[in-house]
Amino acid sequence: MKTLWTSRLTSFLFVLPYLAAFALFLLFPILYGFVISLQDFELLSAAHPFVGLRNYMTIFTPGTYENSIFFRGLWTTLQFVLYSVPLLIITGLGIAMLVNALPAKLRGLFRTFYFLPYALSASVMAVIWLMMFDTNAGFINSLLQKLGLTGIPWLTATPWAWIALVLTTLWWTIGFNMIIFVNALNEVPEDYYEAASMDGANAWKRFVSITLPSIRPVMLFVMITSTIASFNIYAQPFLLTRGGPGDTTRVLLINVLDQAFVRKDIGSASAMAILMALLIMLVSIVQFRLTNRKEKV
Amino acid sequence: MGKAKKTGLLLLAILIALFVLLPLVWMLSTAFKNDFEALSGRMNFLPKKPTLDNFVQGLSGELMNTPILRWIVNSLSVGIAGTAIVLLIDSMAAFALARLPDLPLRRTLLAMFIASLMIPGVLTFLPMYIEFNTLGLINTYQALILPATAGAFGVFLLYQFFVSFPKEIEEAARIDGVNKWNLYRRILLPSAVSIMTTLGIFTFMGIYNDFVWPLYATTSPEMRTITAGIAMMATGSYTQSYGKLMAMTTIAALPVLILFIAGQKSFVRAITSSGVK
Repeated sequence: MKTLWTSRLTSFLFVLPYLAAFALFLLFPILYGFVISLQDFELLSAAHPFVGLRNYMTIFTPGTYENSIFFRGLWTTLQFVLYSVPLLIITGLGIAMLVNALPAKLRGLFRTFYFLPYALSASVMAVIWLMMFDTNAGFINSLLQKLGLTGIPWLTATPWAWIALVLTTLWWTIGFNMIIFVNALNEVPEDYYEAASMDGANAWKRFVSITLPSIRPVMLFVMITSTIASFNIYAQPFLLTRGGPGDTTRVLLINVLDQAFVRKDIGSASAMAILMALLIMLVSIVQFRLTNRKEKV
Repeated sequence: MGKAKKTGLLLLAILIALFVLLPLVWMLSTAFKNDFEALSGRMNFLPKKPTLDNFVQGLSGELMNTPILRWIVNSLSVGIAGTAIVLLIDSMAAFALARLPDLPLRRTLLAMFIASLMIPGVLTFLPMYIEFNTLGLINTYQALILPATAGAFGVFLLYQFFVSFPKEIEEAARIDGVNKWNLYRRILLPSAVSIMTTLGIFTFMGIYNDFVWPLYATTSPEMRTITAGIAMMATGSYTQSYGKLMAMTTIAALPVLILFIAGQKSFVRAITSSGVK
């Protein structure tokens, strides 16, 4: 007969392998990141003297290089969030409703079409669009010229660079939001709509008074995941616009990785990464709170 | 719904589908053009002089610093190895959390794993790089595999499944004297094939498609994954060699597109159970 503690031990052995991976490659890096952010950590030097909060203070001191790249990068990222998130939500919901309105036989086919780009790697996606947007030889400008219009410098002038980044992001990720919304729409009881139709509510009214309230929790989920994803934008400006024109699309993550691997200042880059992570978590908490409050009113 | 409206919606759906599929079709078409034709600005979907040169040159390693065959082998290997590890350790952990009430710190561990799902990747990226650098593991397969094993998504997904597994079967087995390992191995795992497939597809695609970490965690051309390699090509000396680039993206996209279409139902299931409840 096994004693109690051997049973507890064997139970623990099941968790141990994952717990080790979790501790080594998630928990430890998080804690280590804080330590690094308190050090003068040059990538290539062996000594990493403790400097307290200096890396953070430099970021918040106007006029320093770190201050400029952090806040300009942050502003650029926020611009992208602002441009992309509403479109990601509206288009995602729109396409989901479109798919649901199609004849049942065709739904699966179109869902697969719309979802397909989501399977691609960010680098594959970006390189395909690099070719599509090429000023001289790109498909889109060739098409515009055929229609008698002039070509557009998609990746080298504003606002086109922003439009290109948002468009590629929509193309690449819209399938995710569509799937979430399709799922939510299918769970709205059919009799709600029938009852409303009998009361003479038109399509728009049914959408506002039945669809939207029913999918509210899902809407919140999509809002949060889309905001976080857009906050983490990297591949599109890194590969398509190279942060340009000038540095109009140099988003925060480009600057953080640049600070770490080009300027080799890991300490300062870690401080920036931590501030960015805190902001991302803060945004999701605020969004969660705001939407919850509305529900109570 | 009126017939005209139905037709209108179908037309709209087809139009959007064309927009979505066009870049993929154009990629495929350009992959069979020589660089000169690819840069000509002509809009022919069928290449004037179809050529396999881009694929042949790419795969034979003739292009400078681009051992593409090696990149694909790297990507597939780390994808498969990482997925195998994730499936094993996540299912064991989920089994213990859901089915072994005497597990020490059960609630604390569960809460910690679930809370970790909210941690943005940017928080661990740089310290993980320093960690692997200190261990001398930059530019090794370990660096490409191990970080992917720490995510709690799989534990969470399988935990939900194991928790809802009927107690009666388990109790019957326990009375028959089945030990914990056999309970896991012979009773719970066989019932979890479908959800494990879901997690497997999801994990493989995540590892295969990641390109930022491999870009920094590898330093020599022969250790790159295909996604990082393509990013290097596009920012390096192949910027406008669209014929070659598209042959590479076609090769890179093929495994995931096939897996995605074949396992779409599984994939959708992973997404929809990832947080919407």
